[in-house]
Amino acid sequence: MLPTGFDFAISALANPFVLGLIGLGTLAGVLVGALPGLSSSMAVALLLPFSIYLDPIPAIALLSALYCAGTFGGSITAILINAPGAPPAVATAFDGYPMAVKGEAGRALGMAAVASVCGGIFSVFVLLFTAPVLARIAYSFGPPEYFALAVFGLSMLASISREAPIKNLIGGCLGLTIATIGVDLTTGVERFTFGVAELYGGIHFIPVLIGLFAVTELLSQAARLGKETHSITLAALKLPTREDFRRVRGTIARSSVIGTLIGVLPAEGGTIAAMIGYNEAKRWSKVPEKFGKGAIEAVAGPEAANNAATGGAMIPTLALGIPGSATAAVILAGLQVHGLRPGPYLFEEQPGLIYSIFFAMLIANVLFLLIGLAGAKIFSRISLVPATILWPMVFALCFVGAYGLEQSMVDVWVMLIAGLLGFVLKYHGFGPAPIIMGLVLGGLIETSLAQSMIIFDQSWTGFLSRPVAVIFFVLALSSIFSSPIRMLFRSYMNKMAKKT
Amino acid sequence: MLVLYNEIHQYSLIAIQKRVCPPTLSLDLIHKNCSAREFPATLANMPLTPIKKRLFLGYLNASSILVFLAYGTCLAQDDYPSRPINVVTHTSPGGGTDATARSVMVGTKLALNIDMAVLPRTGAGGIVAMNYVNNQPRDGYTVLAITPSHLFAIARNQGPLRIEDLVGVARATDDPSIVMVRADSAASTLEELFEMGRRRPIKWGTTQIGGGDHISAATLAKVANTKIAVVPFFGGGEIVTNLMGGSIEAAGLNLTEALDQIRRGDFRALAVMANERLAVIDHVPTTVELGYDTVYSTVRGYAVLKGTPENRIRILEQGMLQGMHHPSYQDYLRGAGLSRNAIAGQETWNAQINQLYLEARQAMVDLGIIR
Repeated sequence: MLPTGFDFAISALANPFVLGLIGLGTLAGVLVGALPGLSSSMAVALLLPFSIYLDPIPAIALLSALYCAGTFGGSITAILINAPGAPPAVATAFDGYPMAVKGEAGRALGMAAVASVCGGIFSVFVLLFTAPVLARIAYSFGPPEYFALAVFGLSMLASISREAPIKNLIGGCLGLTIATIGVDLTTGVERFTFGVAELYGGIHFIPVLIGLFAVTELLSQAARLGKETHSITLAALKLPTREDFRRVRGTIARSSVIGTLIGVLPAEGGTIAAMIGYNEAKRWSKVPEKFGKGAIEAVAGPEAANNAATGGAMIPTLALGIPGSATAAVILAGLQVHGLRPGPYLFEEQPGLIYSIFFAMLIANVLFLLIGLAGAKIFSRISLVPATILWPMVFALCFVGAYGLEQSMVDVWVMLIAGLLGFVLKYHGFGPAPIIMGLVLGGLIETSLAQSMIIFDQSWTGFLSRPVAVIFFVLALSSIFSSPIRMLFRSYMNKMAKKT
Repeated sequence: MLVLYNEIHQYSLIAIQKRVCPPTLSLDLIHKNCSAREFPATLANMPLTPIKKRLFLGYLNASSILVFLAYGTCLAQDDYPSRPINVVTHTSPGGGTDATARSVMVGTKLALNIDMAVLPRTGAGGIVAMNYVNNQPRDGYTVLAITPSHLFAIARNQGPLRIEDLVGVARATDDPSIVMVRADSAASTLEELFEMGRRRPIKWGTTQIGGGDHISAATLAKVANTKIAVVPFFGGGEIVTNLMGGSIEAAGLNLTEALDQIRRGDFRALAVMANERLAVIDHVPTTVELGYDTVYSTVRGYAVLKGTPENRIRILEQGMLQGMHHPSYQDYLRGAGLSRNAIAGQETWNAQINQLYLEARQAMVDLGIIR
């Protein structure tokens, strides 16, 4: 016996026009996702007026397909040119680009595609079966819980990149400092804005990202020109082997769960999910020292997590009418434009629509797997282009990406400054990952702490009354102390072994 | 979290300009303000052989010079609108202001027979958007979407504009704040809530400090002689989540934001901050009925800057009003749970802009935020 609405969804989608729209949405999503500065939330917003002319189901199918594929698309440029196409792909660049430099671009791209699809499909099934229940998680997350989550995120700072822990911590503090720019939410005070209205809202994340990754890499490439010749063999075109997939099975499963759960939290979304996915992959890996130098688990971990976050983000969007991410917010507006009101009623009154969204996301996932695997061989040829030709083109792309965000020159300057800063820091042994982490979590940790203190009448003990927050604090503590304790334990065991 | 929300953008302008002037044509001589629109349209409909095309282009160049010369008279005969109109918003795509603008545009485009685009200039409660609009020619091609945020910013003397610079065009939504508590709250009336606050401050969720939501809550508390502890959030969605989760005790939320929660009985509406009751929840009294004359509503409308030709404002007003009566916008209003009565033309809206501004100033003076 099929559930109500199931057959309706099948017949609504089994239509060449609708399938064509989903295909178009997927292709457009991959392309838009791959270009730095063009993100899936922008593409969805652009398609919104167009979708008004469609019927509700094709319209929402198109937008959801674009959303799924856009998140995957970001990994392509992250791996090939160290310029994450979208913020959630940051963590993919940590190891994806080193793999491409080693001549394993095809392996990294293929793994990104497979991991993305696994994460994506897992989260879509979770969306279908548990959305009304899981959506309640969003309610149990108030400011104290977000604060604890951010503390947990920051607890990974020291170990997030392979550079010296102390340098990672310094980088993280730099990121946190940059995050203080702008008008403070809880006091309304302007900080470090110097009267520039564009800075009131804070430093935008994307220009910093493009600067720290792509521009820094361009400058390092330029500094190396003529010194070393770099020959990449045709091994670059090879896809991942069966052995590779066996190795990352656990990582993908873990990241899919993490990504879905983090995606459910309103406005959290893919970037933090990918960071946590990366760090957990490292923590559970047998060879954590290989992370940062091109470990294949390090591509699978974040990619599975950020795509799982797409399905996760749709859960509160559809079940509560509270967007789980920026793109989901636009999709929510898309539903409203069609006179539909997302919320608990939607699941009871419009099961056909829910199934249609489910199938559209499923089809999009399968389609971008095909695009990703077939494209991996073609895209990976980019890593064979000589640096003197490739990097100037990337530089032009950086400008477009930074400016396109809000058509603001301030963002272009931010990108260039971030690039120069990143180059100097890299020269002195600092990686971009901790800075990005500090920047992502900085605003969240400060705002949520300030809100929590008002809620707790300025008393720190209030945090102890929130079980979810306590769990995250414990996780953070264990993440900080697990390696020193393990080291102590090991040396103790060695001593004991010597005595006997 | 805020950073993630900021990853927003707009490219449609480029796409639209391409559509209006296909790149195959060398139309650079034609001034963009003039009626360049007919030329590509004519050419596109004409099946031409290569030779004829060249001839035609020659003719076109000649005529373009004529048009260029005729530019001076162009303004007089005024074929407004002849190129895309931009609506400048201050929030990211997907927010209420963005969604409202896009739905109004569907019908307005048809009515004015011209393309329109949303340009988000996010940040600083509308100041970035006002800066942008202030630097554009006052020719009716740049429209500012305004909300109480903008008026509060002007009232605080922030940003480049003064209240006299704004000329209202049309109003699209009017969404009054409703004081709400969770259904299991001890307070079942507004007076009981305030009584609680006299014993210890009520945890009250608002949007940004100094914005309309905060000021109206603070004014209401002051008038009622009660205490509130303001917990600021980035948006209405977060406030709903936190009121639901119990982190805060009360908030002023719109119908758009919390209609479902009221209907399902999760939230209890105590008072509508308006002069008249709302049709959908007509059992809920207004603050005015209860003896507090503090009202607050998320009104969204459109304005241009002073100096825009009067006849163009009239054309824009008619176009936008037709857009608001188009089924697309009516569906949107129904989906969002908004009243149709909000739709109003220049006269009503302009008066309201000025009144809201005066009220905002007065409230901030009363609270000692400005002098």
